[in-house]
Amino acid sequence: MRVSLQPAYILHGRPYRDSSLILEAFTAEHGRISLVAKGARRRARGGSTSALLQPFTPLLLSFSGRSELKTLTQVEPAGLAQALRGQNLYSALYVNELLMRLLHKHDPHPRLFADYTLVVEELAAEADVEVVLRRFELGLLEQLGYSFSLCHDGHSGEGLDPEAWYQFHPDHGMVASAGAYRTVQPAYRGDELLAMSRGEFAGENRLAARRLMRQVLAVHLGDAPLRSRELFRARTRGKGE
Amino acid sequence: MEALRCLPGVGPKSAQRMTLHLLERDREGATLLAQALQSAVDKVDHCTRCRNFTELEVCEICSDTRREASVICVVETPADVLAVEQSGSYRGLYFVLMGHLSPIDGIGPEELGLDKFQRRVVEEGVEEVILATNPTVEGEATAYYLSDALQNEGVRVSRIAHGVPLGGELEYVDGSTLAHAFSGRRPVE
Repeated sequence: MRVSLQPAYILHGRPYRDSSLILEAFTAEHGRISLVAKGARRRARGGSTSALLQPFTPLLLSFSGRSELKTLTQVEPAGLAQALRGQNLYSALYVNELLMRLLHKHDPHPRLFADYTLVVEELAAEADVEVVLRRFELGLLEQLGYSFSLCHDGHSGEGLDPEAWYQFHPDHGMVASAGAYRTVQPAYRGDELLAMSRGEFAGENRLAARRLMRQVLAVHLGDAPLRSRELFRARTRGKGE
Repeated sequence: MEALRCLPGVGPKSAQRMTLHLLERDREGATLLAQALQSAVDKVDHCTRCRNFTELEVCEICSDTRREASVICVVETPADVLAVEQSGSYRGLYFVLMGHLSPIDGIGPEELGLDKFQRRVVEEGVEEVILATNPTVEGEATAYYLSDALQNEGVRVSRIAHGVPLGGELEYVDGSTLAHAFSGRRPVE
């Protein structure tokens, strides 16, 4: 298989042997793939490919190979690297970790790729981090086929009552809060959920949206926690002291 | 032969050549190599202050009184320490992270001993911390994390410059590096 100039982002890279890199890339038409970039860490005439092969840089990748691990044959920049700083850099690392954990290899997601491009640009432009992340997370769930309705009750199929309380159920989506597991699981107000369905994640919804997304993603991520969250946690703890 | 293949860049053929060489021509060298490896594995541990490899409790660089104790340079690996030492341009102390923040690899602030480093900076009254992590995304994240943590400690925190390498040609330097080189330009003195 030979693919030429495929739009892609690098999600993660690690050194391999003396001068090569093994990369995890998210491509527009081939989904997540593993690549080996031979000799990428060697320097030629003051420039090296490893400078290009960094996360959050829009790239055009050419690769070939029949096995699971493709060989990178050519790399060209498709734009400038997004200058991510501080909190926004952590958020972008979080997005990468989500994709690494949730995407299956060779599963194309062109719309998700467009979302990802947008999210990286918005984070670089210092937009409201939480709103950007929530929108991406919802899009990600939808693209992976894990979506659920934020404006209908998963059991009765009726529209949500803004005044009522609802809980998330992995199989049914949002269901009216019953006494059975009220104590264990967090509940969300109908109006909060309706606002989220309209894409409003700012203001009062902020906390509820974050809690809901965390709860939903936890179902799909399994037991191992996301490590990038530690970066934020340490930061907030430092502030509190 | 199998044992030698744990080395990077040594395949079956090279392993065979090395083994036969040691057995046929250089048995003395083989003993020396075996002893050196054994003693290195037994004795070498991390320095309690900078986490670099050393046979001592505190490594030679950390215990050298002629070096400036008020400046600490943070690097990712022991190889980076050697590189900076060989440049001969730095006379302060080091702190070796043994990696960089990389959530995907499961490396967080704790694994790198960043809290320990922060305590050391406060306790020893360090004046300047030079962040010399690699100019990769993970290296930048690590540098930012440290600068954020040290923000309120009254320490001067600096980041090494990024730019065009000596002997390089602008034409072949990638856009991001050039952008760094331009934003970090200096007036000619």
